[in-house]
Amino acid sequence: MIEAKNLCLRYADGTLALHDINLHVEPGELVYITGPSGSGKTSLLKLFMGVEFPTSGTLKVLDHAVTKGQASNIRRLRMALGPVFQDFKLVKGRSSLENIMLGMRFFGFSSREIKENAREALIRVGLEHKAESLIENLSWGESQRVSIARAVVRKPALILADEPTGNLDRDNALNILEILKACKNEKTAVIITTHATHLINENDGRLIRLNGGAVERTDELK
Amino acid sequence: MKHLLNNADYFLKEVKAIVRINLLSNILSFISTALIFFILAMVISGWWMSNHVIAVIQGEAEINAYFAESISSAEVIQLADAIKRIDGVREAQLINEGQAYARMVEILGKEARVLEYFDENPFSPFIEIKIHLERMDAVLAELHLLSGIEHVRDNRDVLERLRNLAGIIRFLGYLIVTAVGISTLVIISHIIRQGIDNNREQINTLRLLGAPESFIAFPFLLVGLLLSIGGGILATMLAAYALRYVYAQVAGPLPFIPLPPRETLVLNLIILIASLSTFLGIAGSLFGLFAAKNNQ
Repeated sequence: MIEAKNLCLRYADGTLALHDINLHVEPGELVYITGPSGSGKTSLLKLFMGVEFPTSGTLKVLDHAVTKGQASNIRRLRMALGPVFQDFKLVKGRSSLENIMLGMRFFGFSSREIKENAREALIRVGLEHKAESLIENLSWGESQRVSIARAVVRKPALILADEPTGNLDRDNALNILEILKACKNEKTAVIITTHATHLINENDGRLIRLNGGAVERTDELK
Repeated sequence: MKHLLNNADYFLKEVKAIVRINLLSNILSFISTALIFFILAMVISGWWMSNHVIAVIQGEAEINAYFAESISSAEVIQLADAIKRIDGVREAQLINEGQAYARMVEILGKEARVLEYFDENPFSPFIEIKIHLERMDAVLAELHLLSGIEHVRDNRDVLERLRNLAGIIRFLGYLIVTAVGISTLVIISHIIRQGIDNNREQINTLRLLGAPESFIAFPFLLVGLLLSIGGGILATMLAAYALRYVYAQVAGPLPFIPLPPRETLVLNLIILIASLSTFLGIAGSLFGLFAAKNNQ
């Protein structure tokens, strides 16, 4: 699912964001990536999404080589992913339902299928009563749940959630983690970056700690 | 195509949102596009009208040969036969005073009242000669050689003047078509770029979700088409109204000017403006999209 070998990322200003990352993720896995600010968590997810490209080393995500200059390949990769962004990236002026529908507009589904699936996704994240609410009228936690619904509705092979619990209180954060954990199945792997290690210790899955752009430690959780 | 139909509601909502974000700019662009197309429609109408008038006059290429009143009827018939034998003459026919008078009554219509002030028929008999236009010079030269011909009247001067006028209108037409093309492209591409800038965040989100560029661009293309075709429709309506006024002004006082049928002219205008506005709408939107992409 993800195959990273000797992965390095250096930004245009010379900052070395990641180095010597070797990583292998299997279908159905739940992986937490933690580490202090600036440790490279978001940079690693950006590489997985094809937003950034490796300076050296190789990276394959869902059988797509992540290399620069292959726009259509990267677009196909992004279509197969379920991204959850820290700042949600939801479209203002549109309802929750419309935002979720946006996630599957270009998959060739009929208008009716798009709407039905979007409603199901909203039920899954417990926001069916907010279907027609405008995004700007939702709380932080609700917006994050809509963002997760938009990722899930695409039935992706890989969900990438960047700091989904940031700015949330403990109850809301746990709720978001539970929803994301529930997305994991035989075919779908979930990768979550988070600061909140205290919230994930009780979960199963794999914990990868980054520090200074390198993998410091990997633990299996129980 | 299936994608477009499945997402028709989404695209229409997007178009509404894009237009609403910059409503005043969009309204002004729509009005300017309509006015530009209106100017084009009027110049093109003038062009087509003058072409039609020339074609009608050319189709009736004829020379009137006036003969001396002293010659006998038999000599006039002989003269007409001699004229028929000239290379380039299609037909030669004697028109007597009565026929000449009747023709003028037909041409003048209501204004024929003026002829009643004459005590006698003021028109002279003549030989009406229908010719092949390209042989006009040779026919005129031969006619001058025939004895009995006193005076020859041809419509060459009128044709020349009309041709010059049509040339000027055609030149103006080319200028206006170029100006319309450039202005519409600039207006539409500018408004599309503005729309893209205003929706930058949403476009980035769609890209992160893997949306094809065509899916992202389609609402902007629709906005360009809406402005351009909408402007074209308004311009055609204004032009149709203006032409009705022009025809009312020309057909009454100047009935001898052979204008093309108004319905045909308006139909041709609709076809032309619709095709041009569609083409310019698509081209302008594509320019705007490419320009915005290069500015990223």
